[in-house]
Amino acid sequence: MTERLRAVIVDDEDLARGVLRECLAAHEDVEIVAECANGFEAVKAVTEMRPQLVFLDIQMPKLDGFEVLELIGRDLAVIFVTAYDEYALRAFEVHAVDYLLKPFSEERLAEALAHARVHLAERATIPVGPLVASARPGGRPVERIVVRDGSRVHVVPVERLDYVEAQDDYVCLHTEGKRLLKEQTMADVEAALDPGRFVRIHRSCILNVERLVRVEPFGRDSRVAILRDGTRLPVSRTGYARLNELLRG
Amino acid sequence: MQPVLARSPRLALYLAACLAVGGLLSAAIAGRSGLSVARTAAVVLPLALVFGFVCLSSWYVCRATPLRTSPTAMVAGNIAGSTLFAGALWLALGRAFAWAAARIPGLAGVDRLFSSDAPLLFAVGALVYLLSLAAHYVVLGVDEAQATEQRALEVQLMAREAELKALRAQIEPHFLFNSLNSISALTTADPAGARRMCSLLGEFLRASLKFGARERIPLADELALVQAFFDIERVRFGSRLCFEQAAEDGVRECLVPPLLLQPLAENAVNHGVAERLEGGTVRLHAARAGDMLRIVMENAFDADRPREARRGVGLDNVRRRLATHYGGRATLGVNDEDGRFRVTISLPASREASPP
Repeated sequence: MTERLRAVIVDDEDLARGVLRECLAAHEDVEIVAECANGFEAVKAVTEMRPQLVFLDIQMPKLDGFEVLELIGRDLAVIFVTAYDEYALRAFEVHAVDYLLKPFSEERLAEALAHARVHLAERATIPVGPLVASARPGGRPVERIVVRDGSRVHVVPVERLDYVEAQDDYVCLHTEGKRLLKEQTMADVEAALDPGRFVRIHRSCILNVERLVRVEPFGRDSRVAILRDGTRLPVSRTGYARLNELLRG
Repeated sequence: MQPVLARSPRLALYLAACLAVGGLLSAAIAGRSGLSVARTAAVVLPLALVFGFVCLSSWYVCRATPLRTSPTAMVAGNIAGSTLFAGALWLALGRAFAWAAARIPGLAGVDRLFSSDAPLLFAVGALVYLLSLAAHYVVLGVDEAQATEQRALEVQLMAREAELKALRAQIEPHFLFNSLNSISALTTADPAGARRMCSLLGEFLRASLKFGARERIPLADELALVQAFFDIERVRFGSRLCFEQAAEDGVRECLVPPLLLQPLAENAVNHGVAERLEGGTVRLHAARAGDMLRIVMENAFDADRPREARRGVGLDNVRRRLATHYGGRATLGVNDEDGRFRVTISLPASREASPP
């Protein structure tokens, strides 16, 4: 007998979870280890239960399915379950194993499970890059950034983001006096943010221009940006040019 | 076809007018030739009738060279040529009629008519013909203006049809897919619930198809539709979604465009309550304010989402639709103060069958 698959169901609708639970009962090799009504519960469950398979709804409050995947998805198989067919392409871009459209048939579910087993047998690990890119539907700037801190999740609406600093392999998000670390590159963060509001003022710093009070000269050939809360950030020569361009435009 | 020839009453009227002009002309020229008015008329009246038809033919000249689309030189040439020809024809016909009439016993001497003053007679014929040309151009112009107006009306009507179709499509297909999924869940867990959901969905779809085909429906029917929509959504969202509606006395009979509130209801769920972990309440309130009907739909929303994300395309559709139906007399306002997203529609309260 094959090893049982540990699965988590994530859907904000009670009935939708019910359908999956019932259909999965017919598959003896699948064990449901948790059911979650939202993305926060999902991140917690995945951290604690270490499932191999996640059935993930896309339209959910606060954290949508793609954001949940960005936070949890590395070495588990994800099957999206949604009524919306327009996300299918994006789902495969982020290496979802399959994409079930509500309402789905039992045959279709069996097929998706087969895909998941193949995927898990290959021990494929999803690269992190596409997951990050997925948070940017259709090239539009993101409206919020999600950060995982153990089993906790922080959701930072971009308008509350003050500035972003590079920190080794991480970025440090500064928001309302708090600091949140996220495993991501500066280039990815810069690309995800609204270029009309955020500007890369230095190799290691992206600034929300709404927080800027003034720019002062600092030493020879360099400047410093002063924020509303008094924070001082380095501004490079190209960064200063970019800042000027944004403020003038 | 020539507009006068096209209808016999018009033709009769026109010929009578020709005879009247002929009579006047007879009276005017009788003295010059020393003939009695009656004798002169014997020649001039038939001539007037025949020349009347010649003038009608100027319609075809006008049709051949419409003012707007033909080169000026061509129009001028056509007018000048046909006018000269008509003047000459008038003169020749006059002389022929006079000559022929003189052969009739009792009309001897009428051949004196048209024998002299040739330039003057020619000018009269040409002028009359020129007037008929001008009149025909005016008629053509009026026709064209009417046709343009007609076309504009048709286009407007088509636009409205398209708008309605688009609006009927506003019932989100995802709403149906999600409902079907709920039914799928209920079939084994709660068969009676599944059956109830099927009938709710059936009623909602039937009513929206029926009302959607009408120009206006009573607010009571629209409110029932909205209620049915929320009954279905409540099966899906369970305790996360609450819906309350209240309509003051005397507003239920007011007429509104069908499915006007549907996009607002869908917005309130999809961009409002569904975005909140804890869910929330959607409230609908309808009241009279003077001779206006005021409908307010409000819902809880997630304050962390950007403002644009709360709106959805539904609002613009409703606004456009109000403009099509009521012009500037209807308004749609949005505000999101005190933590509630609130859409207020104000439209003329009418009870009669749809005003224009």
